[in-house]
Formats: sequence, structure tokens, C-alpha cells
Amino acid sequence: MRKILLIISREYLSRVKKKSFWILTIVVPLLLAGLYAVPIYLALRPHEKTTVLVVDDTKLFDGAFKSSKEISYQYAGSVDYAQRRLEEEDSVTAVLYIPARETTIPGDAFLYYKGKVPPADLQSDVSEQLQSHIRTIILQDVHGITQEEFDQVNATKIKVHTKDLETGKDGFLEVKMAIGLVLGLIIFFVVLMFGGQVMTGVSEEKTSRIVEVIVSSVKPFQLMMGKVIGIGLVGLTQFALWIILSMVGLVGIQAANPELFEAAKARQNMTEIATKGTDAVEQMQALNDAPVVTELIQGLTAINFPLIIAMFLIYFVLGYFFYATLFAGVGALVDSDTNAQQFSLPVTIPLMLVMIMMPAIINEPTGSLSTWLSFIPFTSPVAMMIRIPFGVPAWQAAVSIALLLLFVPLNTWIAGRIYKRGILLYGKKITYRDIFSWFKKK
Amino acid sequence: MLQVEHVTKTYGDFYALRDVSAEVTTGHIFGLLGPNGAGKSTLIRIVNQILQADEGTIVFDGHPIRQSDVENIGYLPEERGLYKKMKVGEQAMYLARLKGLSQSEAEKRLHWWFRHLEIDTWWNRKVEELSKGMQQKVQFVTTVLHNPKLLIFDEPFSGFDPVNATLLKKEILRLRDEGATVIFSTHNMSSVEEICDDIALINHAEVVLSGNVKEIRQSYRKNLYHIEARHSDDNSIALPSGFEVKNANDEKGLYVADVSLPSSASSNDLLSALMPQGQVTALQEILPSMNDIFIEAVSQ
Repeated sequence: MRKILLIISREYLSRVKKKSFWILTIVVPLLLAGLYAVPIYLALRPHEKTTVLVVDDTKLFDGAFKSSKEISYQYAGSVDYAQRRLEEEDSVTAVLYIPARETTIPGDAFLYYKGKVPPADLQSDVSEQLQSHIRTIILQDVHGITQEEFDQVNATKIKVHTKDLETGKDGFLEVKMAIGLVLGLIIFFVVLMFGGQVMTGVSEEKTSRIVEVIVSSVKPFQLMMGKVIGIGLVGLTQFALWIILSMVGLVGIQAANPELFEAAKARQNMTEIATKGTDAVEQMQALNDAPVVTELIQGLTAINFPLIIAMFLIYFVLGYFFYATLFAGVGALVDSDTNAQQFSLPVTIPLMLVMIMMPAIINEPTGSLSTWLSFIPFTSPVAMMIRIPFGVPAWQAAVSIALLLLFVPLNTWIAGRIYKRGILLYGKKITYRDIFSWFKKK
Repeated sequence: MLQVEHVTKTYGDFYALRDVSAEVTTGHIFGLLGPNGAGKSTLIRIVNQILQADEGTIVFDGHPIRQSDVENIGYLPEERGLYKKMKVGEQAMYLARLKGLSQSEAEKRLHWWFRHLEIDTWWNRKVEELSKGMQQKVQFVTTVLHNPKLLIFDEPFSGFDPVNATLLKKEILRLRDEGATVIFSTHNMSSVEEICDDIALINHAEVVLSGNVKEIRQSYRKNLYHIEARHSDDNSIALPSGFEVKNANDEKGLYVADVSLPSSASSNDLLSALMPQGQVTALQEILPSMNDIFIEAVSQ
């Protein structure tokens, strides 16, 4: 027991002391924080004001262009005058020229700029305003529809809200999909990454020939388990650091943008708006420019993070042991990097398979494919983590975890057997036939 | 110290060891000899409890061997290495502690050994920065550090440069004198003659010859003698019929030859045949080398 602790601590410390461990520890939360912060920043950043001079030869668009926070439309009489201002004034970004045509309905418009490229949303704004005004003209002048009727049609906007009647909570299915996807990817990568570290660690010991010295002091099984546990602890340490750093980052973002979260919460509860008064209403309107962001934030606040973290830890530990032991067995068969592929492929294929099926699982998280994949121990860690944000019946989680608990010792036994024989076979090409023969009864 | 009793080990249909027995006496240097693939390494791994025998027992220090005995064994395998990325001192500490030494004891002994072998400046260097010869010194230290009662060296001199090999030999003899029992496994016969007290010769998984080196060489004696004799210029030396002369050389009145005697004759007969013909300056029995014995034993 004391010796296995020595092995665990060496495996753990030698990895935690590496620079790459700390780089990964810092970079991953930064990336996550970036994913979270960038859309918020983009939605809220102050835009540079763009001024457009409109030269309308058709005379159809008098007062039709509505300026917004970002774009200011000013009417100019002639192309020459507008062009001069574009050249002389820095604040003028572009000139919109709508030439007159034989027919009443203009076909093309031109946006002139000089050197400084106008923002992409200017072009879409111009085209939208042009089209919408033309539509108004056609409907009102040609078909005789009144302004009120027209506004009514235009105001039609339907948003689909999802709600689970069982829990009475809003669905936020899109947010859950995103979280499920992220969780599935994370568990896939960490199992592969730390499992892979076990494999290379074992094969390094074999190729450097230190292994025989060590197994003359401890049993091969102790060495294998020491390595698997030590690297697993490295993984858990990495998570703990990731979670702590992410929390710090999240609190930081909240502190920097308090109005964002206030407003998001307010929108969830309509009565709060009244009590908060006009302030909250204004904030809400500001946020209407970025509905995706508020939806995301609302969705995030609606998700049970403690449950997700707890399930993640369970599935990481079990999924890791399930695969790391197999990877240890594979590592023991490898005498050089060249033949690693041959033996690691059967272990990685189930993981790859569940990656391919990820969209299908997300599309139908409670479907039979998803349910089965979240039972089979080879795929359950990834499949179950994708399903968790959508809510998983307790009995299904229990079956899935129980099956993993059953298979982990079995895998350990199989791997231990392969490991014991494999690590001391130097310079000999090991075949699958050899491996099967190790499991034959004498 | 160590008794190997009727040990058999098979891999499928292949016998790695077949009913092997041997006895290693306390304080002796024991040579485990045999060609590559004879089963030496398998036997050594069984003694180290890395492998388990299918049949037979190993008795260590009077009791059937158990896992805790590894702390009284120092083993330098034929295929040996170190963690490349680890620092020398850290690594030696780790290996020492795996052998059951406490932190402080391991540190104390390591510093002694590092000074003794003049490698104490390497403590904080990574193994990959060391030359192969340097790594071998570190490996040797970690093998003997826990003062094991039994030292096992599998092909110890393969890969060692001559300087290190000499140093190793010297240190091994010193440890033997201090009471350690040593097992050498090698296919290089000449290296054992001078230092081994006893041997066991393994070929094709079986012991073909075992016992005390001197006794074995005596029992394989061929009644062969090396002679040197001075004689006057006008006569040459002639030996009675039945005496077979090999490698004779007669120059400037000095006759040098190896003589194979008939089984009925003794060295005294050779001497009395020579004495009337000249002045005998040397007469020495030639005992067969272990290599000759090995080849003869294997070909039987």
C-alpha cells in the first residue's frame, strides 16, 4: 500500500510539475470565458456612428430612411455635393445613390465609399430599408392597404417558447443543446487525453526499460494501478482548477456587466419590471438588440450547474477508469510508437463512434438511440453528459452508472493481465493471437 | 541463501524452464550460465517474483519466498533503463523508497554512494543529459543501495564500458566480502571463471551442469600439461609413445609444448621422462576453460 502511494505521488507530481499542465490549466478557462464573453461584448460594444448621405433621384424615399444608433441617414440634394462632402468630411462614411428609372420602381442603388470601407451591416441595413419602403409603396399605393394594416402585418413576429409540463419550467432547449454538446466534447477529450497519457506513460516505461527494475520492487498490477490513479488525480486537479478559474472569470464578467444579468433576470419575471421601473425597461430595450445573448444568459441561469458538475465528476472518474485501464493494457503492448495505432484503435473506436453520433443524441436526447448509448459503458460517459442538461430520469442514470461500476473492475482485470505479460516482452512483435493466448486457462 | 527446487515454467507448449534446481550458498558468487534464450532470465524473474513458477518452489533465507523478500534482493536486469525526464537524485530516491527505504535513510545512503563513485555533481541533472556509462553507474547504485542480502545481475557487463565494468567488478567483490550473496547471469563464460565460486549451466530450459567452479574444472580435466624445458643444442626433446604433443615450439634451446597424457600416466611420469633430456623450468596442468566445458556439456 505504501509503495502504491509512492507510485501515485510520482505519477502525479511529475505531471503537475510540468509547464504544459499549467498552460492547459490557464488556457482552457480563458477559452471558455472567451466563448462566453465575446458575444456579450459584441452585442454591447459602442458602435462607431456611420453617416450616410442619401441622394435620391427617384424622389420616392423622402424621409423613408430611419436613422438608428449606429447609422445616421442624411439627405443631400445632388451627387456632386454629396461626393464633395464624402471627400472633405471624415464623419461621412458613404453616399447612397438611388438613380431615377423609366419605371416607377427603382431597380438598383449604389453605395459609394472612399478608402474607408463601410461596415457590413450598413449594406444590409440600406438594402432592408430600401426594400421595406418599396414594399410599403407597392402595398399602399398599388393595392390600397392602409398604414395601420401595413404596420400590423409588419409587426407580426412569433417566437417559439418551449416548456416542460412535468417540471413546469421553460425549456431553453437551444441553450441545453449547447451545454450538452460542450459537456460531451469535454468528457470525450479528457478521457482521450488522460487515457492517452496512461498509454504513453506505460509504453515509455516499457521502451526505456525502467519497468523491470520497478516490477522487481512492486507487483506489476500495483505499478499499473498507481499510474492510472496518479494520472486520474492529475485530471481531477485540472478540473478543480478549471472550475475555480471559470467561476472567478464568471464573477468577473458579472461584476463588469451587472446590468446584463439584472435585465436578464427581470425579463424572466415580468412583475419585477414594474417594481424596477423605467430603468429596467430601458435596459431591456437595449437588450432587445441582442436577444440571443439574453436568451443564453436566461438559459444559463435556469440550468442546474451543481448537478451537472456532480454528474460530470462521476462520469469522468468512471469513464476515465473504464478507458485508462484499457489504455494501460495497450501501452504495455507497445514497444515503439509505430505500433501504438494497431492496439489503441480498438479502444478509441467506441469513443470516435459516439462522437459521430453526437448530433443524433442532441437531436433526440430522450430517444431510444440516446438512451441505449447512455447505458453502454463504452459510450455512456459521453452520451450521458450530452443528455444531462435536458434532464435524465434517475433510474436511467442509476443503470448507466451501475453498468460502468461493473465494467471498470472487469476492464482492470483484463488490462492487468495484458499489462503483466506485455511490459516484459521486449523486441518481440506481439500479435492479437498472443494476447488471446494469455487469457486461455492453463 | 537461495534454493531453487524443481522449478518449471511454460509458455503455452514452450518450456522456458524444466525441472530446474540450484543452490546458492550464502556469501558466494553464483554464476548462472547458458546461451541466450536458455531460460536464465526467466529463472531470475521468478526469483524476483516478477513471474510465477508453474511448479516448484524458491526458498529464500530458509523460508518459501514471499513478496516482502524483494526488499532483500537487489536486481539489475539485462534490459535496464531509467526515467529519462527525471532528475538523477529524485529518481534514485524513488527507486530506493520503492525498495522500502525511508526518505532520510535513502537520502543518506545515496549521498554516500554518489560521493563514493564520484557522481555527486549529477544529483540535479536529468537522466537524458547523462551518457550511457553515467546512467549505468546510477543504475548500479540503485541496485545495491538497500544493502540487499542477495544481489542479482543479469548480463551485468553487457553495455558497460571497460572502465565501468572494472569498477562494477570491484564493487561487487567488495559487497560480497561484506556478506552479500551474488548471482551473475551471463552467456559470457570468460567473465565468470575468475569471480564465480559456483555455477549452474542452463541449456534448453534445463540445468546441464552445476557445482563449484574449481571442482567442475577438476572433473573436466583432460590430463593436459604445459611444459617448458631447456636443453643443449645437440639434442632435442622426445617423449614416450602415448604422450601427445600439441603446439610444440623449440627455439634457441627452449622447448615449449602442451602435452596430453594417457590416462594411465601422471604429471610425475611426464616429469621423469623430461628430466634426463634437459632442465625443466615449468610444468603446469592446463584445466579446461569454462567455455570449453560449456561447449562440451552442451554438445553432450
